[in-house]
Amino acid sequence: MTRLPRPRLVWTKAASGRNLFVIVGLTIALIVSGIAMAAYNEQLQQAQRVRAVGVQADILASSVTAALSVGTPADAQEYVKALAANPDIEDVRVYDTANRLYASYSRPAHASGGHIEVTRRVAEKGQVFGHVYLRTEAEPLARRVARYSGVGLLALMGALLVAVLIAAQSSLARANRELEARAGELAGANESLLVEMAEREKAEEALRQSQKMEAIGKLTGGVAHDFNNLLMVASSGLDLMDRTTDPVRRGVLRDGIRQALERGASLTRQLLSFSRRAPLNPATVDLAQRIENMRVLLERSLREDIEVRLRLAPDLWPVRIDSSQLELALVNIAVNARDAMPHGGTIVVAAENHPAMDDGELKGDFVRLAITDSGEGIPDDLIPRVIEPFFTTKEVGRGTGLGLSQVYGFTRASGGDLRISSEPGKGTTIALYIPRSTEPVVEQPKPAPRGRAGGKAKGRILLVEDDETVAALVTAMVTELGYEPTRASTAAAALEALEKDKDKSLQVVFSDMVMPGAMNGLELAREIGRRRPDLPVVLTTGFSDAAAAATAEGMRLLVKPYRIEALAAELDAVREAKRLQRKGRKPH
Amino acid sequence: MARRVTRRGAWALLALAFSLSAAQAFAEDVSLEYRVKAAYLYKVAPFVAWPASAFGGAGSPFIICVQGADPFGAELDRAVAGQGVAGHPFLVRRIETVGPDSGCHILYAGGSRRQSIVDALHAVRGTNVLTVTDGERPDAPRGIVHFVISEGRVRFDIDTQAAHENGLEISAKLLVLAHAVRSRR
Repeated sequence: MTRLPRPRLVWTKAASGRNLFVIVGLTIALIVSGIAMAAYNEQLQQAQRVRAVGVQADILASSVTAALSVGTPADAQEYVKALAANPDIEDVRVYDTANRLYASYSRPAHASGGHIEVTRRVAEKGQVFGHVYLRTEAEPLARRVARYSGVGLLALMGALLVAVLIAAQSSLARANRELEARAGELAGANESLLVEMAEREKAEEALRQSQKMEAIGKLTGGVAHDFNNLLMVASSGLDLMDRTTDPVRRGVLRDGIRQALERGASLTRQLLSFSRRAPLNPATVDLAQRIENMRVLLERSLREDIEVRLRLAPDLWPVRIDSSQLELALVNIAVNARDAMPHGGTIVVAAENHPAMDDGELKGDFVRLAITDSGEGIPDDLIPRVIEPFFTTKEVGRGTGLGLSQVYGFTRASGGDLRISSEPGKGTTIALYIPRSTEPVVEQPKPAPRGRAGGKAKGRILLVEDDETVAALVTAMVTELGYEPTRASTAAAALEALEKDKDKSLQVVFSDMVMPGAMNGLELAREIGRRRPDLPVVLTTGFSDAAAAATAEGMRLLVKPYRIEALAAELDAVREAKRLQRKGRKPH
Repeated sequence: MARRVTRRGAWALLALAFSLSAAQAFAEDVSLEYRVKAAYLYKVAPFVAWPASAFGGAGSPFIICVQGADPFGAELDRAVAGQGVAGHPFLVRRIETVGPDSGCHILYAGGSRRQSIVDALHAVRGTNVLTVTDGERPDAPRGIVHFVISEGRVRFDIDTQAAHENGLEISAKLLVLAHAVRSRR
């Protein structure tokens, strides 16, 4: 949102006035100089004309000498007549020494203009024979007019130019005034627009807030219900465990409580995933193998009247995804399909390669994973809304509205896209386009052996955790795994503990990521990497913006909540990796 | 001494009387024709170029000689009084006979018993003298300038050949006015 600057006009009034002044001044100077030149020219012309008449008189005086002295008036008249050929000459007279007219010529004088009169002595070798008189018109008016018509034309043009410039100037000034007025109006309109936009933003903010409230309401209806159920299972399970000593029955109750807790963990994962801030743990995997592994899970989460068919192309490209997110996505889609087929049906999970796609954002090689049901379908107008968080068509308590949101978030986070097509009454196809990975498939780590994982002494472990409850639990878990724990509640305290560890008896550091203090878990891990490069570090977090950075830096990360087997496996893996590293560096 | 004056010539002379510049005084014994001729005698001087050697120096006189019979009388003296050409004042000299050493610049050969016109002309041939003669008869002896009466006016013929022989240059202005010009034969 930018304010329109008030336009600056290049031709301001003052500037145009100054320019006009200059132009008028120049024109006047031009005309004045033209007149001055004409006057000077006229003077020169006049002087030259006087000279010319003088020369003519000289010629006459010189040529008429003999005729005047030893010739006849007729002889002299010949010369006079010769001069009369010049139309400017009005009067020619030749006088003898006694001042008697000897020969002459005259024509009617021109009405206008001055005259030039010249008298010359007629003499030869000092002997004077008389004189001649010559009178001409100063200059014929027509010729003078012709001569000065150029200057006149110039002056006229100059005046015309001034007139045109003044006219142009005034129209420009008028246009400028109009433009300024319009600019003012525009600025006013812009300001009122800004006010309106601010108001609209406020209104939209209010709307968003109310939508958020509505969403939270829905969340309360859906998620809270699920949580209550699993808490119910856990608490009642614990109650029952207290009342029985039968190991078989306690085992059943323990499994029930664990399942409820796993569901709770799954629920929070979905919430994080839909917000698309869940730490992705991507790896390059073979999609076909993953789906095959899930077949049993899928069938168990569905009803018996629903058949699952897999159509997986044999040469599927590897893809780089977070496997747990994939599993969650498939379960979410399958659950939706199940609910769409209350009287049973078929779910087809198909995967195939789509090379060299060029469809909107999808450019390049993709693997298409499509789940098709034979259910009631989704009305057209609802299709764009099904991926909205908390959007659900199910009654309160049946769904959270987070399922397809998670699917959408997962595909987008994996660099792909989601396409939904549906035909009411016939079924729905949800297709995930996931970009092909050029990296080789990473072998899936074997699940850690269930049961008592520890027992054997594994050395000291430094636990960094600010939450007392969690710290107590984790301390119990690592002790169970055979470690001798040392606890620090901040990064600074952890570094202090590290300083005290002179004999390097610490085997591993297990740190939370988000902690009070100047240093968080990631920074602590870096610092430890600098001070004790051979000391392995495992980070853990439920959620953090830094989690993505941690995985990007190659740090080991354990996502909360985790089970003791996962903790044991992670700690073993990180120690093994460090051991191999040390071995690789040391020559045999 | 008597000159035949035709009636037509008399009319012309009457007309000339208005145009002459010199004559203020009148002499009953000199006809209008000769008064004109007397004026012409010195007035041709500016239109003839004498070599510088013809003059003694700056301010030396320009000598007009009248040999033998003098038809001009005092009229000529009056006409040239106070006049000159190129700084040389006119001087009229009347002589019976003329020779190469007479110092004349212009010679009017009137002829005398001791020296005929022909002899006079012959005597100055080859010297820087502008010879002037007069006479209506076709066989009359002719100097460089020869006065004639044509259409009732006094005119003159010019013999450029003779002038050349006497080392004189005649101005074209004068030649234009000449009644006839004899050139190199």
